[in-house]
Amino acid sequence: MANVELKKVKKIYDKNVVAIKGADVSIKDKEFVVLVGPSGCGKSTLLRMIAGLEEISDGDLLIDEKKVNDISPKDRDIAMVFQNYALYPHMTVFENMAFGLKLRKYKKDEIKKRVENAAGILGLTEYLKRRPKEMSGGQRQRVAIGRALVRQPKVFLFDEPLSNLDAKLRVQMRIEIKRLHQQLQATMIYVTHDQIEAMTMGDKIVVLKDGIVQQVDSPMNLFNNPANKFVAGFIGSPSMNFLNGKIEKNNELEFTAGSVRFGIPDELNLHDKLTPYIGKEIIFGFRPEYMYDKGFEQQKQLSVDLNLIIDVTEPVGSESYNYFHFAGKEDQTFCFRSDSANAYRSGQNITVGMDVRRLRFFDSETENRIA
Amino acid sequence: MKLTTKQKGQLRTAYLFIGFPLLLFSIFTFFPILFAFFISFYDWNLLIPDKPFIGLANYFELFEDKVFLIAIKNTVMYTIGVVPIQTLLSLILAFIMNQKLKGRAFFRLAFYIPAITSSVVTSIIFVWIYSKPGLLNYLLSLIGVEGTDWLFNTGTALFAIMALNIWTTSGYFMISFLAGLQSIPTSLYEAAKIDGANQWQQFWKITVPMVRPVTYFVVVLGLIGCFQVFDQIYVMSAGGPVNSTTTMSYFTYNNSFKYFRLGYGAASAVVLAFIIFGATWMQKKYFPSEAY
Amino acid sequence: MKEIKIQKILFYVVLLVMTAIYIGPFLFSLSISFNADQDVFQWPIKLLPDEWTLANYQKVWDDLPFAQWLFNSVIITLIQTLSNVFFAALAGFAFARLDFPGKNILFSILLASLMIPGIILLVPKFIILNEFNLINTYGGLILPGLVSVVNIFLMKQFFETIPKDLEEAALIDGCSYFRIFWQIFLPVSKPALAAVAIYTFQGSWNEFMWPVIVTTTREMFTLPVGMAFLKNEFSVQWPLLMAGTILISLPTIAIFLIFQRYFVQGVASAGLKE
Repeated sequence: MANVELKKVKKIYDKNVVAIKGADVSIKDKEFVVLVGPSGCGKSTLLRMIAGLEEISDGDLLIDEKKVNDISPKDRDIAMVFQNYALYPHMTVFENMAFGLKLRKYKKDEIKKRVENAAGILGLTEYLKRRPKEMSGGQRQRVAIGRALVRQPKVFLFDEPLSNLDAKLRVQMRIEIKRLHQQLQATMIYVTHDQIEAMTMGDKIVVLKDGIVQQVDSPMNLFNNPANKFVAGFIGSPSMNFLNGKIEKNNELEFTAGSVRFGIPDELNLHDKLTPYIGKEIIFGFRPEYMYDKGFEQQKQLSVDLNLIIDVTEPVGSESYNYFHFAGKEDQTFCFRSDSANAYRSGQNITVGMDVRRLRFFDSETENRIA
Repeated sequence: MKLTTKQKGQLRTAYLFIGFPLLLFSIFTFFPILFAFFISFYDWNLLIPDKPFIGLANYFELFEDKVFLIAIKNTVMYTIGVVPIQTLLSLILAFIMNQKLKGRAFFRLAFYIPAITSSVVTSIIFVWIYSKPGLLNYLLSLIGVEGTDWLFNTGTALFAIMALNIWTTSGYFMISFLAGLQSIPTSLYEAAKIDGANQWQQFWKITVPMVRPVTYFVVVLGLIGCFQVFDQIYVMSAGGPVNSTTTMSYFTYNNSFKYFRLGYGAASAVVLAFIIFGATWMQKKYFPSEAY
Repeated sequence: MKEIKIQKILFYVVLLVMTAIYIGPFLFSLSISFNADQDVFQWPIKLLPDEWTLANYQKVWDDLPFAQWLFNSVIITLIQTLSNVFFAALAGFAFARLDFPGKNILFSILLASLMIPGIILLVPKFIILNEFNLINTYGGLILPGLVSVVNIFLMKQFFETIPKDLEEAALIDGCSYFRIFWQIFLPVSKPALAAVAIYTFQGSWNEFMWPVIVTTTREMFTLPVGMAFLKNEFSVQWPLLMAGTILISLPTIAIFLIFQRYFVQGVASAGLKE
């Protein structure tokens, strides 16, 4: 098993299109790392560079402290699971899994043992003689995983392996892959555009945007302490709300944006961080989860009140997503989450409380988090 | 540029893979194109070792050669007659084959057999059909019409061969159209039905416009084929009677390989090639293939 | 409802008349080929022979150099078909899947050469082969038809539909590019290979103009050239000629019947497209 180290790795196409602008990521042995970001952010390119399917334009890639930039994919001791499964349609499940081992001249008994073992783990034992087209999407994806498994590689690479499956199966496979990771104690690198998948699966998440690594952190840290506005908005569903406004100093520090105005309690110790922004533009971020309707719930500690006007309510089961705007700011819509038992109608005025400890502020120019 | 190991591997494999085909194309296509022009400027006779350069003399002679001028006229008539009819007929055949009908596989085979049969075979069969005591005259006599000796009559020989050509190729192009028809979404026809279009309107307003790219392809291939028609002429009429079926490619063949005037033959082939280029260029300009 | 029924009957009547026009000529030549009476030019003609016989087929085989022509045709067709399948697949793979300098220009040149009318190449090809003393030899008959741009184009188109993932999975599994071609791409390309084989077979088997130019003696003729020769040189024994034409036609029709699904379904293979 192995660690993987990316040092200032760049990908440049045709001398001017820069797909990856210098990525530094270090992945420890046995870690499950998820690369996540919107489409076109370079996450797949990064994975494919680790696999050796894309040239590395600049920087170093090390697997187990060894530089592998110029080593061909087959000699990197990695295995990859593809989005479209990439099963050889003319081979049976057994042959699909055995192919890589055969090419590496393993003995017949060993191949048989490994394939049967992998099939057992993945519940494919009775399908070994089938061809891919006689199987369902979920089964095919299992075969693709099996093909990686039998190789016992140093590193497993997954390129959006679940995005072709339906929602229910996706959740099921997610759990299975996670369990597999615990069982195998292998290094796994997993690409997805789905932040929920990233949050639930990763020990560590690498958030990418426009070829730049935005933040590398544990799921909970990403959620609670996003490095910048992009990460804050990307992680979490529904997304964090953002409101542009100003910091003013009266008795205490205050945030103002039109009708929205609240004080920032001194207990939060934000004074030092926010003082340089007094009188300046700032972005205020608040998550839909950390708001509550004061008509239904008791006042909580360290909370500020906001008046808002409900536009639309979307019940999704036990909870509802309520879209609203602030008085005088009809053009911007925000979201807050409530118990679905709370019934709102369009146009209704309500007062909500917000947990101040959960409020986040971002620099309006760099979009980096201030506090 | 420094090549990576991966690129080097691809490069070697690629040249290995395309090497032999490229060599053959060079010998039998690329070089001959240039060579054809070269030959056409010489009095190149297979039987005479001396091959003097004569400039454009072959071309001047061609345009004073009555047979050549007749060949141009015949070839153009042939093409104008055959291409539109075979295109429309093959589209209709494909339209029929695309309907729900019993025994579709049988009908498809029936229409396709002439296309996959050797042109020599179909020509021989039609020599018999067109002969004075042949099948065509027999059928005509049943409705009280007296026929003629179709292939030995200067007024009918070319048309007889044109009919044979339409008969053979329409089945072939039917397959092309069939593929085009099958790629038209059924929902379009359903929408048209709801809009109140009958079968006939559906054919003209949906099918014909939707298969336009295929039509373009079929017309181009038809043009190229007709301008170069040879096999049927060789077998059925040998250009006769009185040159009434001499086409340009038959003229080229005769001069090159019967009289061994290779320079003269090459020149006539060059002229034919330019006529074909002109025709396909005009088609591209005035009837482009744009798809929707 | 009645109107629809009449329409339907009319449709089938038209269909049957068309069918008769398309296969009628073959049926009549079949009928003549079984005719024991050598003089078929009687008026009025008889649609069916008075006396049936297989003797014409026997005679074609015994009296004519039919066996030699058949042998020539088979050899040429076989070599050209195998060669076309093999080289079209190789070159198609290179153009579809490999990266090499000049690839796009080279391919455009090949495509452009499709627009060259074959007629212009006849004289130069003849002179070239004459220089190598290949006129009236198998070499002269076979060499110009070993590869074709259309087939390369077909294979390239097909290979491009194979997901890139498959190639990459094979790379990671440890394949060289040649092995990817041989063990992954070829096995999944059977429909396209079959299409190339069938088209080449028919083109080769039925080819007339080139063999007529490049052969000068009877024993080098292919079947079509031989039949044309018989028709033109002798005052024809029609039943014999018809028996010959039927025999020539059988292989192409048989191949069509056996492989017609490849004609019809085209080159899209199930299982690959997800």
